[in-house]
Amino acid sequence: MFLQQLLNGLTAGAVYALIALGYTMIYGILGLINFAQGEIYMCGAFVAVLLLGTGQVNFYVAFAGGMAAAALLGVVLERVAFRPLRGAHPLVPLISAIGASIFLQSLALLLFGPLDRSFPIQFSFSTITIAGLPVSSLQGAILGAALGLMALLVIFVRYTRYGKAIVACALDRDTARLMGINVDRMVSLTFFIGSALSGAAGIMMAIYYNATYPRMGLLPGLKAFSAAVLGGVGSIPGAICGGLLLGVAESLGAAYISSGYKDAFAFAILILVLLIRPKGILGGRGD
Amino acid sequence: MIAYLLHLAILGGIYVILAISLNLIVGYAGQVSLGHAAFYGIGAYVSALTSLLCHFPFPLAALSAIIFTGACGLLLGLPTLRLKEDYLAIVTLGFGVIVDLVFLNLDITGGPDGLPGIPAPSFLGVSFRSPWLYLVLTLMVVLLTLGLTYRLVHSYHGRALRAIRDHEVTAQVMGINTPAYKVAIFTLAAALAGLAGSLYAHYITFINPESFGLHTSILALCMVVLGGMGSLAGAVVGALALTVLPEILREFRAYQDLVYGGLLVGLLIWRPQGLLGRGKLSLKFISRE
Repeated sequence: MFLQQLLNGLTAGAVYALIALGYTMIYGILGLINFAQGEIYMCGAFVAVLLLGTGQVNFYVAFAGGMAAAALLGVVLERVAFRPLRGAHPLVPLISAIGASIFLQSLALLLFGPLDRSFPIQFSFSTITIAGLPVSSLQGAILGAALGLMALLVIFVRYTRYGKAIVACALDRDTARLMGINVDRMVSLTFFIGSALSGAAGIMMAIYYNATYPRMGLLPGLKAFSAAVLGGVGSIPGAICGGLLLGVAESLGAAYISSGYKDAFAFAILILVLLIRPKGILGGRGD
Repeated sequence: MIAYLLHLAILGGIYVILAISLNLIVGYAGQVSLGHAAFYGIGAYVSALTSLLCHFPFPLAALSAIIFTGACGLLLGLPTLRLKEDYLAIVTLGFGVIVDLVFLNLDITGGPDGLPGIPAPSFLGVSFRSPWLYLVLTLMVVLLTLGLTYRLVHSYHGRALRAIRDHEVTAQVMGINTPAYKVAIFTLAAALAGLAGSLYAHYITFINPESFGLHTSILALCMVVLGGMGSLAGAVVGALALTVLPEILREFRAYQDLVYGGLLVGLLIWRPQGLLGRGKLSLKFISRE
Protein backbone atom coordinates (compact mmCIF):
# COMPACT_ATOMS: atom_id res chain seq x y z
CA MET A 1 0.00 0.00 0.00
CA PHE A 2 2.67 2.50 1.02
CA LEU A 3 4.97 1.57 -1.86
CA GLN A 4 2.04 1.70 -4.29
CA GLN A 5 1.17 5.23 -3.14
CA LEU A 6 4.83 6.17 -3.39
CA LEU A 7 4.89 5.01 -7.00
CA ASN A 8 1.65 6.84 -7.84
CA GLY A 9 3.15 9.94 -6.30
CA LEU A 10 6.36 9.64 -8.26
CA THR A 11 4.45 9.30 -11.53
CA ALA A 12 2.36 12.41 -10.91
CA GLY A 13 5.43 14.14 -9.49
CA ALA A 14 7.48 13.51 -12.63
CA VAL A 15 4.77 15.25 -14.64
CA TYR A 16 4.65 18.18 -12.18
CA ALA A 17 8.43 18.40 -12.49
CA LEU A 18 8.20 18.73 -16.28
CA ILE A 19 5.79 21.69 -15.94
CA ALA A 20 7.84 23.15 -13.08
CA LEU A 21 10.88 23.16 -15.40
CA GLY A 22 8.99 25.47 -17.74
CA TYR A 23 8.14 27.84 -14.87
CA THR A 24 11.64 27.79 -13.52
CA MET A 25 13.45 28.34 -16.84
CA ILE A 26 11.21 31.27 -17.77
CA TYR A 27 11.55 32.70 -14.27
CA GLY A 28 15.30 32.31 -14.50
CA ILE A 29 15.63 34.26 -17.73
CA LEU A 30 12.87 36.88 -17.43
CA GLY A 31 12.18 37.00 -13.70
CA LEU A 32 8.44 36.52 -14.27
CA ILE A 33 6.01 33.72 -13.74
CA ASN A 34 4.26 32.55 -16.87
CA PHE A 35 0.72 32.14 -15.64
CA ALA A 36 -0.36 30.52 -18.88
CA GLN A 37 1.91 27.48 -18.39
CA GLY A 38 -1.11 25.34 -17.51
CA GLU A 39 -2.82 26.32 -20.76
CA ILE A 40 0.28 25.36 -22.73
CA TYR A 41 0.06 21.95 -21.02
CA MET A 42 -3.59 21.74 -22.05
CA CYS A 43 -2.74 22.73 -25.65
CA GLY A 44 -0.17 19.94 -25.96
CA ALA A 45 -2.69 17.36 -24.79
CA PHE A 46 -5.45 18.62 -27.09
CA VAL A 47 -3.29 18.72 -30.22
CA ALA A 48 -2.05 15.18 -29.59
CA VAL A 49 -5.59 13.90 -28.97
CA LEU A 50 -6.95 15.64 -32.08
CA LEU A 51 -4.07 14.36 -34.25
CA LEU A 52 -4.65 10.82 -33.05
CA GLY A 53 -8.39 11.28 -33.54
CA THR A 54 -7.87 11.76 -37.28
CA GLY A 55 -6.55 8.22 -37.44
CA GLN A 56 -3.87 9.28 -39.94
CA VAL A 57 -0.85 9.38 -37.66
CA ASN A 58 0.76 7.01 -35.21
CA PHE A 59 1.31 7.70 -31.52
CA TYR A 60 4.88 9.01 -31.77
CA VAL A 61 4.02 11.54 -34.48
CA ALA A 62 1.05 12.75 -32.42
CA PHE A 63 3.25 13.06 -29.32
CA ALA A 64 5.83 15.10 -31.23
CA GLY A 65 3.05 17.16 -32.81
CA GLY A 66 1.56 17.98 -29.42
CA MET A 67 4.95 19.03 -28.07
CA ALA A 68 5.63 21.16 -31.15
CA ALA A 69 2.24 22.89 -30.93
CA ALA A 70 2.78 23.64 -27.23
CA ALA A 71 6.26 25.00 -27.98
CA LEU A 72 4.91 27.20 -30.76
CA LEU A 73 2.15 28.51 -28.51
CA GLY A 74 4.77 29.38 -25.91
CA VAL A 75 6.85 31.35 -28.42
CA VAL A 76 3.80 33.21 -29.76
CA LEU A 77 2.64 33.95 -26.22
CA GLU A 78 6.01 35.50 -25.38
CA ARG A 79 5.89 37.68 -28.52
CA VAL A 80 2.33 38.88 -27.94
CA ALA A 81 1.83 39.07 -24.19
CA PHE A 82 5.32 39.51 -22.70
CA ARG A 83 7.75 41.14 -25.12
CA PRO A 84 5.81 44.43 -25.60
CA LEU A 85 5.73 44.79 -21.81
CA ARG A 86 9.37 44.10 -21.01
CA GLY A 87 10.84 46.72 -18.69
CA ALA A 88 7.43 47.68 -17.28
CA HIS A 89 6.48 47.36 -13.61
CA PRO A 90 6.47 43.61 -12.78
CA LEU A 91 2.76 43.82 -12.08
CA VAL A 92 2.06 44.53 -15.76
CA PRO A 93 3.38 41.33 -17.41
CA LEU A 94 1.87 39.34 -14.52
CA ILE A 95 -1.64 40.62 -15.24
CA SER A 96 -1.03 40.20 -18.96
CA ALA A 97 -0.12 36.55 -18.39
CA ILE A 98 -3.29 36.03 -16.33
CA GLY A 99 -5.27 37.54 -19.20
CA ALA A 100 -3.56 35.25 -21.70
CA SER A 101 -4.32 32.25 -19.51
CA ILE A 102 -8.03 33.08 -19.29
CA PHE A 103 -8.14 33.83 -23.02
CA LEU A 104 -6.61 30.48 -23.99
CA GLN A 105 -8.78 28.55 -21.54
CA SER A 106 -12.02 30.05 -22.83
CA LEU A 107 -10.84 29.70 -26.44
CA ALA A 108 -10.34 25.98 -25.82
CA LEU A 109 -13.78 25.83 -24.19
CA LEU A 110 -15.36 27.39 -27.29
CA LEU A 111 -13.44 25.24 -29.76
CA PHE A 112 -13.60 21.88 -28.00
CA GLY A 113 -16.56 22.11 -25.60
CA PRO A 114 -16.52 21.46 -21.87
CA LEU A 115 -16.70 17.66 -21.92
CA ASP A 116 -13.85 15.27 -21.14
CA ARG A 117 -12.31 13.54 -24.12
CA SER A 118 -10.87 10.12 -23.69
CA PHE A 119 -7.52 9.27 -25.23
CA PRO A 120 -8.21 7.97 -28.75
CA ILE A 121 -6.00 4.90 -28.63
CA GLN A 122 -5.89 2.18 -26.03
CA PHE A 123 -2.59 0.89 -24.80
CA SER A 124 -2.30 -2.72 -23.83
CA PHE A 125 -0.31 -2.12 -20.69
CA SER A 126 0.32 -4.99 -18.37
CA THR A 127 0.87 -5.05 -14.66
CA ILE A 128 4.15 -6.54 -13.64
CA THR A 129 5.06 -7.49 -10.12
CA ILE A 130 8.40 -6.31 -8.84
CA ALA A 131 9.32 -7.53 -5.36
CA GLY A 132 5.68 -8.16 -4.46
CA LEU A 133 4.66 -4.69 -5.69
CA PRO A 134 2.28 -4.47 -8.66
CA VAL A 135 3.64 -1.88 -11.09
CA SER A 136 1.57 -0.80 -14.06
CA SER A 137 3.83 -0.53 -17.07
CA LEU A 138 1.93 2.68 -17.98
CA GLN A 139 3.29 4.28 -14.83
CA GLY A 140 6.71 2.95 -15.64
CA ALA A 141 6.56 4.35 -19.17
CA ILE A 142 5.44 7.81 -17.98
CA LEU A 143 8.07 7.91 -15.28
CA GLY A 144 10.75 6.78 -17.71
CA ALA A 145 9.77 9.22 -20.46
CA ALA A 146 9.58 12.14 -18.04
CA LEU A 147 12.95 11.37 -16.47
CA GLY A 148 14.43 10.93 -19.97
CA LEU A 149 13.19 14.36 -21.06
CA MET A 150 14.62 15.89 -17.88
CA ALA A 151 18.00 14.26 -18.51
CA LEU A 152 17.98 15.62 -22.08
CA LEU A 153 17.23 19.10 -20.75
CA VAL A 154 20.04 18.97 -18.20
CA ILE A 155 22.50 17.81 -20.88
CA PHE A 156 21.32 20.58 -23.22
CA VAL A 157 21.72 23.30 -20.61
CA ARG A 158 25.08 22.06 -19.32
CA TYR A 159 26.93 21.07 -22.46
CA THR A 160 25.65 22.87 -25.56
CA ARG A 161 26.38 26.41 -26.78
CA TYR A 162 22.72 27.41 -26.73
CA GLY A 163 22.18 25.95 -23.29
CA LYS A 164 25.12 27.87 -21.90
CA ALA A 165 23.86 31.03 -23.62
CA ILE A 166 20.50 30.62 -21.84
CA VAL A 167 22.28 30.27 -18.51
CA ALA A 168 24.35 33.36 -19.29
CA CYS A 169 21.18 35.36 -20.01
CA ALA A 170 19.64 34.12 -16.76
CA LEU A 171 22.71 35.20 -14.79
CA ASP A 172 23.06 38.66 -16.32
CA ARG A 173 21.13 39.71 -19.36
CA ASP A 174 23.12 42.87 -20.09
CA THR A 175 26.52 41.21 -19.87
CA ALA A 176 25.26 38.34 -22.02
CA ARG A 177 24.25 40.88 -24.66
CA LEU A 178 27.73 42.46 -24.50
CA MET A 179 29.22 39.02 -25.12
CA GLY A 180 27.32 38.86 -28.40
CA ILE A 181 24.41 36.66 -27.31
CA ASN A 182 21.12 37.49 -28.99
CA VAL A 183 19.05 37.80 -25.81
CA ASP A 184 15.67 38.00 -27.53
CA ARG A 185 16.37 34.78 -29.39
CA MET A 186 17.45 33.07 -26.15
CA VAL A 187 14.23 34.18 -24.46
CA SER A 188 12.25 32.70 -27.36
CA LEU A 189 14.29 29.51 -27.13
CA THR A 190 13.60 29.27 -23.40
CA PHE A 191 9.87 29.62 -23.99
CA PHE A 192 10.13 27.06 -26.79
CA ILE A 193 11.84 24.42 -24.62
CA GLY A 194 9.84 25.09 -21.44
CA SER A 195 6.56 24.94 -23.36
CA ALA A 196 7.53 21.77 -25.22
CA LEU A 197 8.18 20.08 -21.85
CA SER A 198 4.81 21.28 -20.51
CA GLY A 199 3.13 19.99 -23.67
CA ALA A 200 4.73 16.59 -23.16
CA ALA A 201 3.50 16.62 -19.55
CA GLY A 202 -0.01 17.39 -20.80
CA ILE A 203 0.00 14.43 -23.19
CA MET A 204 1.26 12.08 -20.45
CA MET A 205 -1.49 13.18 -18.06
CA ALA A 206 -4.08 12.87 -20.85
CA ILE A 207 -3.05 9.22 -21.21
CA TYR A 208 -2.73 8.58 -17.46
CA TYR A 209 -6.14 9.94 -16.48
CA ASN A 210 -7.69 9.28 -19.91
CA ALA A 211 -9.24 12.76 -19.89
CA THR A 212 -8.56 15.94 -21.87
CA TYR A 213 -10.60 19.07 -21.15
CA PRO A 214 -10.13 22.87 -21.36
CA ARG A 215 -9.56 23.47 -17.64
CA MET A 216 -7.17 20.56 -17.15
CA GLY A 217 -4.20 22.93 -16.86
CA LEU A 218 -5.38 24.94 -13.86
CA LEU A 219 -4.55 22.59 -10.98
CA PRO A 220 -1.41 20.96 -12.45
CA GLY A 221 -0.15 24.48 -13.24
CA LEU A 222 -0.73 25.57 -9.66
CA LYS A 223 0.88 22.43 -8.26
CA ALA A 224 3.86 22.69 -10.59
CA PHE A 225 4.39 26.25 -9.43
CA SER A 226 4.37 25.02 -5.83
CA ALA A 227 6.89 22.40 -6.90
CA ALA A 228 9.13 25.03 -8.48
CA VAL A 229 8.99 27.11 -5.28
CA LEU A 230 9.61 24.04 -3.13
CA GLY A 231 12.78 23.23 -5.07
CA GLY A 232 13.81 26.87 -5.46
CA VAL A 233 12.51 29.03 -8.31
CA GLY A 234 15.10 29.46 -11.07
CA SER A 235 16.92 26.21 -10.28
CA ILE A 236 16.58 23.31 -12.72
CA PRO A 237 17.55 20.50 -10.28
CA GLY A 238 15.28 22.24 -7.77
CA ALA A 239 12.29 21.96 -10.11
CA ILE A 240 12.93 18.25 -10.64
CA CYS A 241 13.32 17.46 -6.90
CA GLY A 242 10.43 19.74 -5.99
CA GLY A 243 8.11 18.10 -8.51
CA LEU A 244 8.89 14.55 -7.37
CA LEU A 245 8.65 15.47 -3.68
CA LEU A 246 5.37 17.28 -4.16
CA GLY A 247 3.85 14.39 -6.10
CA VAL A 248 4.80 11.93 -3.36
CA ALA A 249 3.59 14.23 -0.58
CA GLU A 250 0.25 14.71 -2.33
CA SER A 251 -0.25 11.01 -2.96
CA LEU A 252 0.62 10.04 0.63
CA GLY A 253 -1.48 12.89 2.01
CA ALA A 254 -4.50 11.79 0.00
CA ALA A 255 -4.03 8.19 1.13
CA TYR A 256 -3.39 8.73 4.84
CA ILE A 257 -4.95 12.10 5.74
CA SER A 258 -7.92 13.00 3.55
CA SER A 259 -8.73 12.36 -0.10
CA GLY A 260 -11.37 15.14 -0.31
CA TYR A 261 -8.67 17.72 0.18
CA LYS A 262 -6.10 16.08 -2.13
CA ASP A 263 -5.72 19.27 -4.15
CA ALA A 264 -5.06 21.32 -1.03
CA PHE A 265 -1.79 19.64 -0.01
CA ALA A 266 0.31 21.30 -2.72
CA PHE A 267 -1.03 24.64 -1.60
CA ALA A 268 -0.32 23.96 2.07
CA ILE A 269 3.24 22.97 1.14
CA LEU A 270 3.60 26.20 -0.86
CA ILE A 271 2.54 28.31 2.14
CA LEU A 272 4.87 26.38 4.46
CA VAL A 273 7.84 26.83 2.11
CA LEU A 274 7.14 30.53 1.77
CA LEU A 275 6.99 30.84 5.55
CA ILE A 276 10.03 28.78 6.45
CA ARG A 277 12.40 28.86 3.50
CA PRO A 278 11.32 31.06 0.56
CA LYS A 279 14.54 30.18 -1.31
CA GLY A 280 13.36 26.56 -1.62
CA ILE A 281 15.27 23.45 -0.59
CA LEU A 282 17.97 23.82 -3.24
CA GLY A 283 18.20 27.60 -2.90
CA GLY A 284 16.97 29.14 -6.14
CA ARG A 285 16.67 32.83 -6.84
CA GLY A 286 13.42 33.33 -4.95
CA ASP A 287 13.75 36.55 -3.00
CA MET B 1 -38.17 46.84 -16.31
CA ILE B 2 -37.77 49.07 -13.26
CA ALA B 3 -37.25 45.98 -11.13
CA TYR B 4 -34.56 44.80 -13.52
CA LEU B 5 -32.78 48.17 -13.49
CA LEU B 6 -32.93 48.19 -9.68
CA HIS B 7 -31.41 44.73 -9.62
CA LEU B 8 -28.58 45.89 -11.88
CA ALA B 9 -28.02 49.00 -9.77
CA ILE B 10 -27.74 46.97 -6.56
CA LEU B 11 -25.40 44.41 -8.15
CA GLY B 12 -23.39 47.28 -9.65
CA GLY B 13 -23.04 48.84 -6.22
CA ILE B 14 -21.81 45.57 -4.73
CA TYR B 15 -19.29 45.18 -7.57
CA VAL B 16 -18.12 48.76 -7.00
CA ILE B 17 -17.17 47.84 -3.42
CA LEU B 18 -15.42 44.70 -4.67
CA ALA B 19 -13.52 46.60 -7.38
CA ILE B 20 -12.48 49.39 -4.98
CA SER B 21 -11.12 46.86 -2.50
CA LEU B 22 -9.18 45.01 -5.21
CA ASN B 23 -7.89 48.32 -6.54
CA LEU B 24 -6.35 49.01 -3.14
CA ILE B 25 -4.24 45.87 -3.62
CA VAL B 26 -3.51 46.21 -7.35
CA GLY B 27 -3.45 49.93 -7.96
CA TYR B 28 -2.08 51.24 -4.68
CA ALA B 29 0.05 48.46 -3.25
CA GLY B 30 1.16 47.06 -6.63
CA GLN B 31 0.22 43.43 -5.85
CA VAL B 32 -2.11 41.04 -7.68
CA SER B 33 -4.79 39.05 -5.88
CA LEU B 34 -6.47 36.28 -7.84
CA GLY B 35 -8.51 35.11 -4.89
CA HIS B 36 -10.60 38.16 -4.33
CA ALA B 37 -13.76 36.20 -5.06
CA ALA B 38 -12.76 33.84 -2.22
CA PHE B 39 -12.88 36.72 0.29
CA TYR B 40 -16.13 37.85 -1.26
CA GLY B 41 -17.46 34.31 -0.86
CA ILE B 42 -16.21 33.90 2.71
CA GLY B 43 -17.92 37.18 3.59
CA ALA B 44 -21.15 35.95 2.02
CA TYR B 45 -21.05 32.58 3.80
CA VAL B 46 -20.05 33.97 7.20
CA SER B 47 -22.74 36.61 7.03
CA ALA B 48 -25.36 34.09 5.90
CA LEU B 49 -24.40 31.48 8.50
CA THR B 50 -24.28 33.91 11.42
CA SER B 51 -27.73 35.21 10.59
CA LEU B 52 -29.18 31.74 9.88
CA LEU B 53 -27.65 29.88 12.82
CA CYS B 54 -27.01 32.56 15.44
CA HIS B 55 -29.86 34.87 14.34
CA PHE B 56 -27.51 37.85 14.24
CA PRO B 57 -29.11 41.06 12.95
CA PHE B 58 -27.65 42.29 9.66
CA PRO B 59 -25.15 44.85 11.04
CA LEU B 60 -23.68 42.25 13.39
CA ALA B 61 -23.59 39.59 10.63
CA ALA B 62 -21.86 42.01 8.26
CA LEU B 63 -19.40 42.95 11.00
CA SER B 64 -18.54 39.31 11.64
CA ALA B 65 -18.05 38.84 7.89
CA ILE B 66 -15.68 41.82 7.82
CA ILE B 67 -13.70 40.60 10.82
CA PHE B 68 -13.48 37.01 9.58
CA THR B 69 -12.38 37.88 6.03
CA GLY B 70 -9.95 40.45 7.40
CA ALA B 71 -8.40 37.73 9.58
CA CYS B 72 -8.15 35.41 6.55
CA GLY B 73 -6.44 38.19 4.60
CA LEU B 74 -4.01 38.77 7.45
CA LEU B 75 -3.11 35.08 7.69
CA LEU B 76 -2.63 34.81 3.93
CA GLY B 77 -0.74 38.08 3.60
CA LEU B 78 1.76 37.55 6.41
CA PRO B 79 3.82 34.79 4.74
CA THR B 80 3.45 35.98 1.15
CA LEU B 81 3.71 39.75 1.14
CA ARG B 82 7.36 39.76 2.22
CA LEU B 83 8.12 38.27 -1.21
CA LYS B 84 7.75 39.36 -4.83
CA GLU B 85 4.29 40.12 -6.24
CA ASP B 86 4.12 36.89 -8.26
CA TYR B 87 3.89 34.85 -5.07
CA LEU B 88 0.79 36.64 -3.88
CA ALA B 89 -0.89 36.03 -7.24
CA ILE B 90 -0.22 32.28 -7.11
CA VAL B 91 -0.99 31.92 -3.40
CA THR B 92 -4.29 33.77 -3.77
CA LEU B 93 -5.14 31.66 -6.84
CA GLY B 94 -4.51 28.55 -4.74
CA PHE B 95 -6.48 30.06 -1.87
CA GLY B 96 -9.41 30.54 -4.25
CA VAL B 97 -9.28 26.86 -5.25
CA ILE B 98 -9.07 25.73 -1.61
CA VAL B 99 -11.93 27.95 -0.45
CA ASP B 100 -14.04 26.57 -3.30
CA LEU B 101 -13.20 23.02 -2.11
CA VAL B 102 -14.10 23.93 1.47
CA PHE B 103 -17.46 25.41 0.44
CA LEU B 104 -18.19 22.25 -1.56
CA ASN B 105 -17.10 19.76 1.11
CA LEU B 106 -18.32 21.21 4.41
CA ASP B 107 -21.72 20.23 5.74
CA ILE B 108 -22.40 23.60 7.29
CA THR B 109 -22.13 25.41 3.93
CA GLY B 110 -24.62 23.07 2.29
CA GLY B 111 -22.07 21.73 -0.21
CA PRO B 112 -22.86 22.27 -3.89
CA ASP B 113 -26.52 23.01 -3.07
CA GLY B 114 -25.60 26.19 -1.24
CA LEU B 115 -27.51 28.03 1.44
CA PRO B 116 -31.09 29.10 0.76
CA GLY B 117 -33.36 31.36 2.77
CA ILE B 118 -30.91 33.99 3.99
CA PRO B 119 -33.02 36.66 5.70
CA ALA B 120 -33.20 40.13 4.19
CA PRO B 121 -31.62 42.68 6.51
CA SER B 122 -33.83 44.44 8.98
CA PHE B 123 -32.59 46.80 11.63
CA LEU B 124 -33.64 50.02 13.36
CA GLY B 125 -37.17 48.79 12.81
CA VAL B 126 -36.83 48.94 9.01
CA SER B 127 -36.92 45.83 6.84
CA PHE B 128 -34.82 46.14 3.69
CA ARG B 129 -36.83 43.56 1.80
CA SER B 130 -37.92 45.96 -0.95
CA PRO B 131 -35.34 46.55 -3.71
CA TRP B 132 -35.64 50.34 -3.34
CA LEU B 133 -34.63 50.23 0.29
CA TYR B 134 -31.89 47.72 -0.47
CA LEU B 135 -30.54 50.08 -3.13
CA VAL B 136 -30.42 52.85 -0.52
CA LEU B 137 -28.57 50.53 1.86
CA THR B 138 -26.10 49.51 -0.88
CA LEU B 139 -25.50 53.11 -1.89
CA MET B 140 -24.84 54.06 1.73
CA VAL B 141 -22.25 51.31 2.04
CA VAL B 142 -20.71 52.29 -1.31
CA LEU B 143 -20.42 55.93 -0.20
CA LEU B 144 -18.94 54.87 3.12
CA THR B 145 -16.36 52.67 1.33
CA LEU B 146 -15.54 55.43 -1.16
CA GLY B 147 -15.13 57.97 1.62
CA LEU B 148 -12.91 55.67 3.64
CA THR B 149 -10.67 54.74 0.69
CA TYR B 150 -10.53 58.36 -0.53
CA ARG B 151 -9.35 59.50 2.87
CA LEU B 152 -6.88 56.62 2.99
CA VAL B 153 -5.25 57.09 -0.40
CA HIS B 154 -4.92 60.86 0.04
CA SER B 155 -3.24 60.53 3.41
CA TYR B 156 0.35 59.94 4.44
CA HIS B 157 -0.38 56.22 4.37
CA GLY B 158 -1.73 56.37 0.82
CA ARG B 159 1.40 58.15 -0.37
CA ALA B 160 3.54 55.57 1.43
CA LEU B 161 1.65 52.81 -0.41
CA ARG B 162 2.19 54.41 -3.79
CA ALA B 163 5.87 54.82 -3.00
CA ILE B 164 6.05 51.08 -2.27
CA ARG B 165 4.32 50.31 -5.56
CA ASP B 166 6.61 52.59 -7.56
CA HIS B 167 9.88 51.53 -6.00
CA GLU B 168 9.94 49.32 -2.96
CA VAL B 169 13.64 49.72 -2.14
CA THR B 170 13.45 53.50 -2.24
CA ALA B 171 10.36 53.39 -0.05
CA GLN B 172 12.27 51.26 2.46
CA VAL B 173 15.19 53.69 2.39
CA MET B 174 12.75 56.49 3.21
CA GLY B 175 11.84 54.60 6.38
CA ILE B 176 8.56 53.01 5.30
CA ASN B 177 7.92 49.58 6.82
CA THR B 178 6.93 48.05 3.49
CA PRO B 179 5.81 44.55 4.58
CA ALA B 180 3.64 46.01 7.34
CA TYR B 181 1.97 48.39 4.89
CA LYS B 182 1.35 45.67 2.34
CA VAL B 183 -0.14 43.30 4.92
CA ALA B 184 -2.31 46.07 6.36
CA ILE B 185 -3.74 47.09 2.99
CA PHE B 186 -4.29 43.47 1.97
CA THR B 187 -6.19 42.84 5.21
CA LEU B 188 -8.32 45.95 4.70
CA ALA B 189 -9.07 44.97 1.10
CA ALA B 190 -10.05 41.44 2.17
CA ALA B 191 -12.36 42.87 4.83
CA LEU B 192 -14.03 45.18 2.29
CA ALA B 193 -14.52 42.25 -0.10
CA GLY B 194 -16.15 40.41 2.82
CA LEU B 195 -18.50 43.35 3.30
CA ALA B 196 -19.43 43.19 -0.40
CA GLY B 197 -20.08 39.45 0.00
CA SER B 198 -22.32 40.08 2.99
CA LEU B 199 -24.37 42.60 1.00
CA TYR B 200 -24.63 40.10 -1.87
CA ALA B 201 -25.77 37.22 0.36
CA HIS B 202 -28.54 39.20 2.04
CA TYR B 203 -29.71 40.64 -1.27
CA ILE B 204 -29.84 37.43 -3.33
CA THR B 205 -30.88 35.40 -0.20
CA PHE B 206 -29.40 32.26 -1.77
CA ILE B 207 -25.70 31.51 -2.20
CA ASN B 208 -23.76 28.58 -3.62
CA PRO B 209 -20.05 28.09 -4.39
CA GLU B 210 -20.57 28.88 -8.09
CA SER B 211 -20.78 32.63 -7.53
CA PHE B 212 -17.37 32.83 -5.88
CA GLY B 213 -15.04 30.99 -8.25
CA LEU B 214 -12.06 32.09 -10.30
CA HIS B 215 -14.38 33.66 -12.87
CA THR B 216 -15.47 36.29 -10.35
CA SER B 217 -11.87 37.01 -9.30
CA ILE B 218 -10.93 37.61 -12.94
CA LEU B 219 -14.02 39.77 -13.43
CA ALA B 220 -12.96 41.96 -10.49
CA LEU B 221 -9.43 42.23 -11.89
CA CYS B 222 -10.84 43.25 -15.28
CA MET B 223 -12.92 45.96 -13.60
CA VAL B 224 -9.80 47.41 -11.97
CA VAL B 225 -7.60 47.25 -15.08
CA LEU B 226 -10.36 48.59 -17.35
CA GLY B 227 -11.15 51.53 -15.09
CA GLY B 228 -7.53 52.27 -14.36
CA MET B 229 -5.22 50.83 -11.73
CA GLY B 230 -4.73 53.30 -8.93
CA SER B 231 -7.81 55.39 -9.67
CA LEU B 232 -10.87 55.31 -7.38
CA ALA B 233 -13.17 56.78 -10.03
CA GLY B 234 -11.74 54.22 -12.43
CA ALA B 235 -12.74 51.34 -10.16
CA VAL B 236 -16.30 52.70 -10.00
CA VAL B 237 -16.53 53.14 -13.77
CA GLY B 238 -14.90 49.77 -14.46
CA ALA B 239 -17.28 47.98 -12.09
CA LEU B 240 -20.38 49.65 -13.51
CA ALA B 241 -19.26 49.08 -17.12
CA LEU B 242 -18.65 45.38 -16.55
CA THR B 243 -22.00 45.02 -14.74
CA VAL B 244 -23.99 46.64 -17.53
CA LEU B 245 -22.11 45.52 -20.67
CA PRO B 246 -22.63 41.74 -20.17
CA GLU B 247 -26.37 42.42 -19.81
CA ILE B 248 -26.50 44.38 -23.07
CA LEU B 249 -24.40 41.80 -24.91
CA ARG B 250 -26.30 38.86 -23.52
CA GLU B 251 -26.31 36.86 -26.76
CA PHE B 252 -22.50 36.76 -26.73
CA ARG B 253 -22.42 35.22 -23.28
CA ALA B 254 -20.27 32.28 -24.42
CA TYR B 255 -17.51 34.69 -25.41
CA GLN B 256 -17.46 36.53 -22.06
CA ASP B 257 -14.30 35.02 -20.59
CA LEU B 258 -12.55 35.18 -23.94
CA VAL B 259 -13.22 38.92 -24.02
CA TYR B 260 -12.06 39.40 -20.42
CA GLY B 261 -8.78 37.63 -21.14
CA GLY B 262 -8.19 39.56 -24.35
CA LEU B 263 -9.16 42.78 -22.59
CA LEU B 264 -6.49 42.30 -19.91
CA VAL B 265 -3.69 41.67 -22.42
CA GLY B 266 -4.81 44.33 -24.89
CA LEU B 267 -5.34 47.06 -22.30
CA LEU B 268 -1.92 46.52 -20.75
CA ILE B 269 -0.22 46.74 -24.15
CA TRP B 270 -2.10 49.71 -25.56
CA ARG B 271 -3.59 51.59 -22.62
CA PRO B 272 -2.02 50.44 -19.36
CA GLN B 273 -3.51 53.35 -17.42
CA GLY B 274 -7.05 52.12 -18.18
CA LEU B 275 -9.97 54.40 -18.97
CA LEU B 276 -9.52 56.89 -16.15
CA GLY B 277 -6.04 56.31 -14.78
CA ARG B 278 -3.76 59.33 -14.90
CA GLY B 279 -0.76 58.95 -17.21
CA LYS B 280 1.81 59.80 -14.59
CA LEU B 281 0.41 57.23 -12.19
CA SER B 282 0.42 54.50 -14.79
CA LEU B 283 2.63 51.59 -13.97
CA LYS B 284 4.23 51.31 -17.37
CA PHE B 285 6.89 53.94 -16.88
CA ILE B 286 8.49 52.52 -13.83
CA SER B 287 11.23 50.07 -14.49
CA ARG B 288 12.83 47.91 -11.88
CA GLU B 289 15.68 46.63 -13.94
